[in-house]
Amino acid sequence: MILLSYATAIIIFCIGLYTIMVRRNLFKTVLGLALMESAVLLIIVSSGYIPGGVPPIAPFSGQAVNPLPHAFTLTAIVIGASDIALALAFIVKLHRHYRTVDLDRIRGLRG
Amino acid sequence: MSLSFMIFLYVFLIATALVISAINDILSAVITLSVFGILLATAFAILQAPDVALTQAVINSGIVTALFLVAFSQTEKPECYSEEEEE
Amino acid sequence: MSIRPFIFRIAALILCVSLGLMLFRGIAALPVPEKVIGPAGHYLARTAGETGARNVVGAILFDYRAFDTLGESTVIFTAVCGIAMLFSRRKFHRSSRGLSFIAKRGIGIMVPFLLMYASVIILFGHLSPGGGFQGGTIFATVTVLLCVVYGSSFESQYFPPRTKDILESGGALLFSGIGLIGLAAGTGFLSNIAAGFPAGTFGSFLSAGSVPILNVAVGMKVGAGLSTIFYSMIKMLDAENDHIEGGRPR
Repeated sequence: MILLSYATAIIIFCIGLYTIMVRRNLFKTVLGLALMESAVLLIIVSSGYIPGGVPPIAPFSGQAVNPLPHAFTLTAIVIGASDIALALAFIVKLHRHYRTVDLDRIRGLRG
Repeated sequence: MSLSFMIFLYVFLIATALVISAINDILSAVITLSVFGILLATAFAILQAPDVALTQAVINSGIVTALFLVAFSQTEKPECYSEEEEE
Repeated sequence: MSIRPFIFRIAALILCVSLGLMLFRGIAALPVPEKVIGPAGHYLARTAGETGARNVVGAILFDYRAFDTLGESTVIFTAVCGIAMLFSRRKFHRSSRGLSFIAKRGIGIMVPFLLMYASVIILFGHLSPGGGFQGGTIFATVTVLLCVVYGSSFESQYFPPRTKDILESGGALLFSGIGLIGLAAGTGFLSNIAAGFPAGTFGSFLSAGSVPILNVAVGMKVGAGLSTIFYSMIKMLDAENDHIEGGRPR
């Protein structure tokens, strides 16, 4: 089951990377960034899973899963949301300046 | 949780990611990102991580979707900025 | 030139697939543990005794590794500063009308329950899953809801930007103040039981030393920060609405 989670997360990471490289719309770039961050979070959380484990809330009724990846992931989720917000603010400012969100046209107007 | 349910959930997750990447309409892609966030929260809950699932569900499907929609509707306005000064 | 984008897409696809295969070979070589060892094992075994908190993840975030949480609050503060600076130049005195009467009455009944839900998640963060981040984000979601349903000038009347400013800075100052209390007691920055905070009885509401206070501080900061981000981006929308309808924002 952990291998299944790893494989899914790597596939989603590669889909996000392909979206960032190929799509021209700036919103698609930010969506690809969100996909990549979610895939990495899935890898982190499933690396701490122990088969047959219980959530880390004391008192435990069995073997608890590793709580350290959960702490990293909480911080990473909030930081990811902050940088997506900043990227969207930049897109809005770019639209004001160039009247478009198409990356090819923005590069063409600059050159 | 049984293995077949996990496989179904992960296949649905990959299909949602493909839809986000391939669709051309931005509004549909943003709504699909919200669905992706909820499915990922379910996967976290099955991996015995309740704190992470709660945070992921609230932040991804609440705040990030709202910010995307606000930014998207800002970039749809007709261009009439002639008398507004920029910095 | 229509063949060049096609070649570019094929090359990108090959790159992504090969990267995925290499990543899988590397990650699948990690061992699957049978029990938890190392610092995580220490945290699992000793949290109830050393901190008095039931939620181990909350104790890690606010007691053992509280300095990282302070750094993460600084990241949120930086993002809020950046966005507020990008959208800072407009002031307006009109707003959109909001949604229909049915939506306004219905949401008006629901909002107190949402606020209570957010407060419970923050205050019981040391006993059950939850904590400052989750509850603070739900507070921000309530302000987003008020913006959408009632119009952003209504929301800025009830939660003025000045108040959100004070809440956010107050949360950061409270966090640092608790840390300095630990320093003044001689045990180190952000220490919990060793600095004199009462541990209380295990499992009751007043327990775990300074963890509930830090939860409240982080909740204030995250909630006010995310709400300020949303308000900065949406007040432009309403100013543009006025501009297009023919009214000039003052």
